[in-house]
Formats: sequence, C-alpha cells, structure tokens
Amino acid sequence: MPYIEFKNVNKIYEMGEIKINALNDTNFQIEKGELVVIVGPSGAGKTTALNILGGMDTATSGRVIVDGKEVTRLKNKELIGYRRNDIGFVFQFYNLVQNLTARENVELATQICKKSLNPESVLEKVGLKDRMNNFPSQLSGGEQQRVAIARAIAKNPKLLLCDEPTGALDYKTGKQILKLLQDTARKENMTVLIITHNGALAPMADKVIHFKNGTAEKIEINQNPKPVEEIEW
Amino acid sequence: MKKALMKDSVKEIKNTYKRFLSILLMAFLGVGFFAGIRATSPDMVDTIDKYYDNQNVYDIQVMSTLGLTDDDINEISKIENVDKVIGTYETDGKLEIDKVEEIVKIMCVEDINKPRLIEGKLPENTSECVVEPNFLVQTGKNIGDTIEIQIENTQNDDGEEVEFLVNKEMKIVGTVASPLYLSRDRGSSTLGSGKVDYYIYINKDNINAKDIYTNIYVKVKGANELETSSDEYKELISNTKSKIEEIKDEREQARQDELINTATTKLEEAESEFNNKKQEAEDEINNAQKKIDNGKKQIEDGEKEIAENEQKANEEFANAEKQIEDAKTQISESEETLNEQEAQANEQFAALEEQKSGLETNLAAVNSSLNIANETYNGILEALKNPNIDSGSLESLTGQKLACEAQISKLEETKNTLTAGITEIENGIASGKQEIQNGRNQIQAAKQEVEKQESSYKETKSSTLAQLQEAKDKLKTSKEEITSGEEELEKQKEDVNKQLSDAEAELIDARDEIAKIEKPTWYVLDREQNSGYVSFIQDTESVENIGQVFPIVFFIVATLISLTSMTRMVEEQRTQIGTLKALGYNKFQIASKYVIYASLASTIGGIFGMSVGFVLIPKIIWMMYSMMYQIGDISLNFNWKFGTIGLGLIFICIVGATIYAVVRELRQTPAILMRPKAPKIGKRVLLERIPFIWKRLSFSRKVTVRNIFRYKKRFLMTIIGIMGCTALILTGFGLKDSISRIMPDQYEHVFNYDIQISLKDGLEEKQIEDLKNNLNQKDEITNVVETYMTTETAINNGVEEDVQIIVPEDKNSLDGTINIVDLDTKEKVTLNDNEICLTDKAAELLGVKEGDTITLQDGDGNQKQVTISNVVENYVYHYVYMSKELYENLYNKQYESNVLLVQDSNLSEEQEDSLAEELMNYNEISSVSLISSAIRTMDETMESLNYVVVVLIVSAGLLAFVVLYNLSNVNISERIRELATIKVLGFYDKEVYDYVTRETILLTLIGIALGLVAGYFLNYFIIGTCEINMLRFNKTIEPLSYVYSTLITIAFTLIVNFVTYFALKKIDMIESLKSVE
Repeated sequence: MPYIEFKNVNKIYEMGEIKINALNDTNFQIEKGELVVIVGPSGAGKTTALNILGGMDTATSGRVIVDGKEVTRLKNKELIGYRRNDIGFVFQFYNLVQNLTARENVELATQICKKSLNPESVLEKVGLKDRMNNFPSQLSGGEQQRVAIARAIAKNPKLLLCDEPTGALDYKTGKQILKLLQDTARKENMTVLIITHNGALAPMADKVIHFKNGTAEKIEINQNPKPVEEIEW
Repeated sequence: MKKALMKDSVKEIKNTYKRFLSILLMAFLGVGFFAGIRATSPDMVDTIDKYYDNQNVYDIQVMSTLGLTDDDINEISKIENVDKVIGTYETDGKLEIDKVEEIVKIMCVEDINKPRLIEGKLPENTSECVVEPNFLVQTGKNIGDTIEIQIENTQNDDGEEVEFLVNKEMKIVGTVASPLYLSRDRGSSTLGSGKVDYYIYINKDNINAKDIYTNIYVKVKGANELETSSDEYKELISNTKSKIEEIKDEREQARQDELINTATTKLEEAESEFNNKKQEAEDEINNAQKKIDNGKKQIEDGEKEIAENEQKANEEFANAEKQIEDAKTQISESEETLNEQEAQANEQFAALEEQKSGLETNLAAVNSSLNIANETYNGILEALKNPNIDSGSLESLTGQKLACEAQISKLEETKNTLTAGITEIENGIASGKQEIQNGRNQIQAAKQEVEKQESSYKETKSSTLAQLQEAKDKLKTSKEEITSGEEELEKQKEDVNKQLSDAEAELIDARDEIAKIEKPTWYVLDREQNSGYVSFIQDTESVENIGQVFPIVFFIVATLISLTSMTRMVEEQRTQIGTLKALGYNKFQIASKYVIYASLASTIGGIFGMSVGFVLIPKIIWMMYSMMYQIGDISLNFNWKFGTIGLGLIFICIVGATIYAVVRELRQTPAILMRPKAPKIGKRVLLERIPFIWKRLSFSRKVTVRNIFRYKKRFLMTIIGIMGCTALILTGFGLKDSISRIMPDQYEHVFNYDIQISLKDGLEEKQIEDLKNNLNQKDEITNVVETYMTTETAINNGVEEDVQIIVPEDKNSLDGTINIVDLDTKEKVTLNDNEICLTDKAAELLGVKEGDTITLQDGDGNQKQVTISNVVENYVYHYVYMSKELYENLYNKQYESNVLLVQDSNLSEEQEDSLAEELMNYNEISSVSLISSAIRTMDETMESLNYVVVVLIVSAGLLAFVVLYNLSNVNISERIRELATIKVLGFYDKEVYDYVTRETILLTLIGIALGLVAGYFLNYFIIGTCEINMLRFNKTIEPLSYVYSTLITIAFTLIVNFVTYFALKKIDMIESLKSVE
C-alpha cells in the first residue's frame, strides 16, 4: 500500500455559471521518503492537487489517502489537525510573519504540534544558526525561504509540500533551496513534494508527475535521481 | 472624471460595502451626535422663545411695596419703546382640601403672561377658575369640582378693608400651565408654610379690590422678534429697564404723596367731622341743659299757677256759695211775701165770694123774674100767634108784650150786669189766684235755679279740685323727669367727653400714621429674575457645554477610523494606483475615486446623522428636562448652522484623512507602486529588552505584544475608541448614580425623619406641648422635634435663591433628626445664637463661604442680614438653619413652632399611611407628609433618567462597535496572508481567533482602564455642568457602575470579536499562495 494515494480525484470549481474542472480524475501514488516533483504548465492542476493533499482544499470526489488516513473524509477540525501534525508547507513567497524573528516564525509552527523538533536545531540545520534572531525583513529571499523550510520541517511532518519554492528566488539561491529540500528528503527520510513549472528540475526527484489539463498525465520514476548541484537549467 | 473611473468608484463601494458602511456609520454618529447635541440648546431656547411669544410673556415686570396705580401705568406707557403695559392682581390664598392646607398663588388671566390651556377652558366669569394639572393629581380634585379660597382682605387707599375677590367659591373649569412658573418651584408666600404649593388663574372680573394693582407687566417693542436671552434681547430690555428705573424715584414719590394726600384729606375730613360732632355734642348737651332749666321754670310757674288757681277757685267757691245762699234767702223772703200776699188775697177772695154770692142771689131773682117774664112773654107771643086775636087784645097783648119785652130786656140787662160782676169777681179771684200761683211758680223756679246752680257749683268745684290735683301730680312727674334728665345729661356729658377724647386720640394716631407713610420701593424686574426661566436658560447653557465635549470623542474616532480605513483601502489598491498612474491618469483623477468614496460615505452618513440627530437627541434631552419644566413640546428645528458645521467637520476629517492617505501613496513612482509594498518591518519592542519579563511571556503573548506595537495607529485607535465607549457608558451610569443617590443622601443621610407634620396657625404653646406628648406616647413614634419653617429668598450680589429656613425649638433637638454636617470638616455643627448654617449648593450659587454675610428677604420684602457660620451638606433644595435665639432677635418675634418632625419606628408603607391618616384627625394638625412617599414620587420621576443612560450606552456601544468592527476588518485585510498562513500551518479556528483577538482584547482592556479614568472626569464635568440649581449631585460613581461599564464594553468587544471569528473562519487558505499584490 502506497504511502500517499490519489484515487480518481476530481475538483470542480463553480464560479457562478461556469464550472472549472481543476482536477479531472487524477490518480497517482507516492511512497514514503520519496522526493516528488510535480511539473506542468500553469493551470494544469498542480496547485489544486497540492492544496487537496495539504488539507487546504477538499476534493469534489475521489479519495486521497495519506499514511492510511483518508484525507478526503476528514472533517474540518480533523483536517486542521492533519495540517497541523502531518503537513509541512513551503510557499512560493515564504509567507513568514514579518513581525516575528526567524526563530519565532519557526516557533509559530512548533508550538502547536505534538512531535515538533527543536526550532533552534532546525534553523541550524538549514544554515541559519546566526540569523535566528533576525526579522524576515533583515534576511535575504533565500534565507527567508530557509526559514520557511525550517518552519515546515520543524513540525516534523509526514509530508513536506512545496509550491514553487524557488519561484521568487534567483537561480543560485533557488538551487541552494532545492538542495536543502533534497537533503532533507534524503537525510530525514521525509516525503517531499515540490511543485514547479520548471521541467528541468525533474531529474532531482525520485518520482516525477507530469500534470496536464487537470490530470496526472505521466508518472516517471527516476532510478537515479541527480543531486541538485549537478542539474543545470 | 473618466467614465471608467466613475464605474470603478461605484464598484468599489459595492465591493467594499462594509468599509463604506463603517465610514458612513462613523459620519452618521459623529454628525448626528454633534449636530443633535449642539442643536438641542438652541432648540430649547427657541422653544422657550416661541412659548413666551405665544403666551405673550412680559419683558419687564414692576412691583411696588405699596401697590401700583393707573398713573404708574400711564407714566410707564409714555416711555420710549414700551409697547404695552398691563396692570394686574396677584395674591396668595389658602385652600383647605381634605383637611390639608394648601397655599395657592392667585393670578388673573390677562392678555399678558397668558396661561397655556391644557384641558377644559379658561375661566369666563367670576365663579370659574383654572388650576395646574398637578393640583388635580395631588388633591384628587377634578374639573367641575368647586374650591373655596380663603383670602385675606386687602386695604384700599382709603385704608378700608376690602374683600380681594368677588367670589371666593369657584368651579375648576380647566387646567393650565403658567409661563411664569416653568419649574416646579412656586415661590414663597407669607402664608402658612411659607411656600406656595400651586397657582390658580381666575377671571379678572373676580377681583373686587381693583384700585391698586399688585404687578405691572411691560412688553417692550420689538422684543418678541428677538430671541429671549439673546444678547440683543438682553440689551433691548436692559435699555428699557433703565428708562423705567429713571422714573422709579419720581413714581415712588408720587405714590407716597398720593397716599399721604389721601390720608391727609381723610384726616382733615375726620377732624372737621370730629369738630362738628364735638360742636353738635356740646350743643346737644346745652340744649338738654336748657330744656331742663326750662322744665324747672315751668314747674315753678306751674306751682305758682296752681297755687293761684287754687286761691282763685277758693274765692270763686266762696262767692258762688254766698250767691247761692243769697238766692236762697231771697227765695225764702219772696215765699214769705207771697204767703202774706196769699193770705191777703184769700181774704179778698172771701169778700169777693160774698159779693158774688149776693150777686148770684140777685141773679137768681132776676132769672126767675126773667123766667116769668119770659113765660109771660111766651104766653103773649103765643097769644099773638093766635091769628084770631083781636086787635084790642092784640093791642093789649102787644102793649103787654112790649111791656114784657122791656121788662125782659131790663131783666136781661140786670142779669148781664150781674153776670159781668160775677165774672169780674171770678176773674179777680182767678187772677189773684193766678198771681199767687205765678209767684209760687217763680219761687219754685228760683229755688230750682238755685239748686241747679248749687249742684253745678259743686260739680265745678270738684272738677276744679281734680284739675288742680292733676296739675299738681303732673308737676310732680315733671319734677322727677327733670331730675333723671339731669342725671342722664351728666352721664351723657361724660360719654361724649370720652368719645371725643377717643376720637381725638384716633386722629392723633392717624396723623402719626401719615407721618409714617414711607416712600414705597419699586422693583423693576425682567425675565432674569424669574427663577424658573433662569434655571431653564442655565440648563440650556449646560446642554450647550455638554454639546461641546461629547461630540469631540466621536470626531476624533471618526477621523482615526476613516484614516485607517482609507489608508488600508489605498494600500490594497496600490498596484491599481500604480497602473493608473502608469497609464497616464493624473494624481487628481486617481485620488478622485477615493475622495468620492469618502465624500459619499461622509455626506450620506452625515445627512442621515443630522436627520436623526436633530430629532432624536433634542427629544431625549427634552424628555429629561420636561420632568422639571412645564413648557410643552420642544420645537425641533433643522439647525443649518450646526448641521453644516457637523457635516463640514466630518467631511474634513474623513475626506482629509483620505486625501492624506492617497497623496502619500501617489508621491511614489508607478514602478514602486506596482511592486508589492514592503510589509511592515518587524521590530523589537521595548519590552524585549527587559528579558526578565519577556522571557516569562508565552510565545503567543510575545507575538501579541509585538503586534500591538507593530500597528501603532490601530493600537491608538482601538484604545481611544474603547476609552470613549467606556467613558460614555461610565458617565451614563455615573449620572444615574449621582441622581439616584440624591434622595437617600438627603432623606437618610441629612434628613433622618419620616414624617413632617404642619401645625395649624395660632396654636397655644400648651396645645403643641400636649400634641407632642400625645404623639410621643404612640408606639409607632420614636421621636418628635418641634421646629419653625418658612421660605425666604437668600440674596447675595444680585443672585437670588429661595431657601427654606428651619428654626428648631431647641437647637440640640435636631440632632439625629436633621444632621447638620459641615461640608469640609464632616463634623456635626451646633447652631449658635448669632449665625446661620447655609446648605452647600445655595452657598455655591450665592457665591458665599463661611463667615460671609447674606441677605434674607421674606415674602413682604423685609430684608435681614445674616452671617454664615458653616456651609453644610445638603442635596435637595436649599436650607438655612437658625437657632431660636437668632430668630427671635432677628425678627423681633416670639418663636412659634409650626412644624413637627417625627421619626417612626421603621414602619411599613401601609403602617405609615394609616399613621398619617390617624394624625390628620388631630385638630391641631394641618397637614402630614410622609418622606417615604416623597421619595417614591421623586424616584418615579428619576426613572426617566434611565433614558439618558440608555442613550449614552447605545451611542457608546455603537461607537465601540464601529471602531472595533472597522479595526478588525482592517486588521484582517491587512494580515490576511499571515492569517491564511497560520491556518495552513494548522492553527485551529480558535487559535487563529486568539492569535488575532488577543491583541484586541489587550487593547480593549487598556482602553477600558483609560476609559474608566476618562469617564470619571467626564462624569465630573457633565454633572458639574448639568446640575440643577435646586439639587446637589453626588459626584461619586458607585463601584458597581465601573463594573457595569467594563462589562458592557467587554460585551461590545465580544460581539465584534464574534463577528471577527466568522470572518476569520471564512479566510481562504489559498490566499496564502497568492503572490503579494
């Protein structure tokens, strides 16, 4: 039984008269500890799938199972619990709380979940040992994204979801972030999902899911994923 | 303005209707409150102005200590600017209803100071009257019932007592409100309790004593056109008033002269009358003396006459008796003569008889010869007759016959001679006899005559004697009469002398009185001296003061709110602004959208606010005041001035804030604008530098603290909003506390008695003592204190206040019944013999303190100076406490109790009522009033104050709601990304809510704390400005009110937070994924 399973998931947005089929009978599976990259053009349904998987949105039909838990069946409160304990989320624009220092941003996450890691050691892990007490505005974009990643992994989630984590970053920094994510997946045996429209990133993943027109069109498995350093785009 | 931009503006309103509404509501509240409160004072003034114009209320009033006359009216009429002068009659009378004595002010329905008819009709004739509505309520009388007024006679100029009214018994035909008595205060009286209870209007025809007016009312030209109490009005009136004051001296003098003249004329008349009377009396006495003298003389004369008459009578009697005697003698002489004559006659008769018988014998012989001759002759004749007779025979026979015949004739002749002799004798005898008889008859007649004379004499004598006796008797009576007459005269003389000397003394008195006629004093007053009017005008000023403070809170908050809202709005649309700018729209065009948005919100809200505020707020404030003033309905006006100012201010505040926000953004270049605005930079707060505290704070608290300091504007606004809200609510409760504590403060703290008994006038000391003993014996009564109470006017520096004077029978007896406590030292005060204690509010109004002197003026205008020993605590009305000794010295009057203060033994309402009923049965008691029922009545009146509290709470609540709601909206919209993020992080709804509202709650708490402080001062200020003259409000706020204010503010906060909770719940997590706009 796969760690994560998307089974015939449909998502229809109703915008007044118009119905938009954001996900159309999507199916894919992810194993524990896999680093997965979801690629596809804009509007292909990648984010929708991620949102449903992250418990931020609900599927119109179909089943989503994460570690034996049927996410699609969870009630609102359970869904929050799921987000709280099982999911770590890294946003394109970091979404740090500006008013909190790096450490506090991490603490914001750790203070609410049961099996959280020590914020300081996590920050150290992401290489921000010295910037812990800085406010986001005092950090560079990459550093901010590191804080965001630290915030996500400090919760010790089952699943780390990253939505275009390098979208707002320059090439070099983006690479560093991707490296961090890859390392995290490898070292912590964390299941990591990265959404990107950049197909060039595909080789770094254990599994690449191609999205098109609201469905997982093609699923590739990389027998030998490349370290990020070796990928050029 | 481009069409697209216009469309955009309208759409913007639609999309952000919440924001639009909150700005609109702010404008509504700000303008409504400002315009409403500010307009209330002018509305109130306008109401009284219209009311006074309608009722044609006087501008100037003239009163005099000696009354006013038509001449005075004429003189005043001549003054420039005087429009109308009306003299009228006002006096006080007593009424007894159900054994309770009420003092009423009686006034005439005139063309000036017209009473406002409430029910029924105005009095149309002498047997009708109208009363105030409260009279019917309090006395239980109804329209159609009859009342009888006891009223003292008045004196006209001739010093005669005149009935004041034609008809003392009148039917109530309606109820009215007098424009002269706006407040419940009816002024003082010299009658009864010294306080007028009600006023009554009667028809002028019912005035009997019409010579002297008690009041003259003057209308000034053009005064009705001016607003009463405005500066123009005051100036006009004071000009005319000073002109009247110019003729004051002259008129006072004229009145004095007039009175002196009338009195002098009267005195002179009396004097001449006195002299006449004196003369008359003397004449009368002289006459009487003369009469007596005459009488005496007459008696003397009478006596003489009687004596004379008696003598004369006696002489006459003697004469008469002699005459009678003489007559008798004569008669008896005559009788003797007659008898002699008779005897002679009888002898003659006898001779004559003899002669006669001789003659008769001859006669008989003749007769027989004759008979023979005759027979012979007859024989011859026979023979002759024989026709055959021969001639010789015949010759013989004829010869014989002739011889016979000759014989016969001879015989016949003899016979005749004889017969004649006989007859002569016979006649002689007969005449002799006859003569004798005649003589006898004569004698007889004479005898009879004498007898007659004798008897008549006797009669005369006796009658004369009787007459004499009678005369004597009469004389005796007369004598007696004269003696008594003399005595009477003597007495009369004494009486007359006494009367005369009395009359003389009276004349002297009258002369003294004239000398004592003083120059009267004119009082020229205007509306400013009418206590009801003045306190009303003062109240309009209080309202104005309140109006200057309250709305400020709203304006500040409105400005801050719109500033945050609009800033946020502009920030949200940064990109759009940048785009527009890049597209080539100029600053003005771009800003116009926001200006239009803000203008529309503020104008619509402001106009709504005005419409509601101009009606609702004056009405509510009026509702409070209408329990104190009887004026009718408030006249509501659309006050352009304050409407415009309010709208203008809010417009400036809101649109100004908008322009400020827009201009600040527009200064940036489009490029910068189109880039997301750098989020607010996180900063360390001061608290972090104190690790001691910071370390102890939980994570969420740290976040809260940081956030609070991150959004300083919001922090300030929330605090100000909440502070204003709490302060307003606390003020509302504070007002209620202050007012509701008045009664307990006064009637439990200061006055500790339960029943006040008014005694009837003129009771003996003994009667009061007995009554007191009688009452003291009752189980229900624990203490009885004797006092004297009256109402006077306290004056200082032209300020006048009615005060109740309380003089205890024993200065120590008040202790425990009335607590006279010094305001400053809070110690009990004992009355001394030279100074008074004055209650606190009166002292404040009069502007006096301990050691100062004030003037006390009674109903007749007599003034006394007194010094204040202590200013004492008091809450309702004004009192002067004075010792019996001071009272007697000051007024030169014997102290006389007229009120008993009774403490009872904690009776229930029913028990008190029945005790009161029982007390009313005592003859000595004129009225019984229960303090508990007075408190109840007052409490009911004060219920309406709850409206004020409600208004304050509602407006405060609205304020709080708008502020918090708006802030919470801004907060959420500003932090929507952050909130979406923490939701993604797995914060439960409750945690998200806490994350946001923890700040709000903290700020609310700070706001409440500051609000309680601000409220304390606001309350202090409001109470200070709106305190009624008659009352002293306790400015302390009950602890519970602080609790309520806090709880209510928290409740409002919770309501807003509740709304926020749902708003937070609705936040879409997808927002977190969006790029920063």
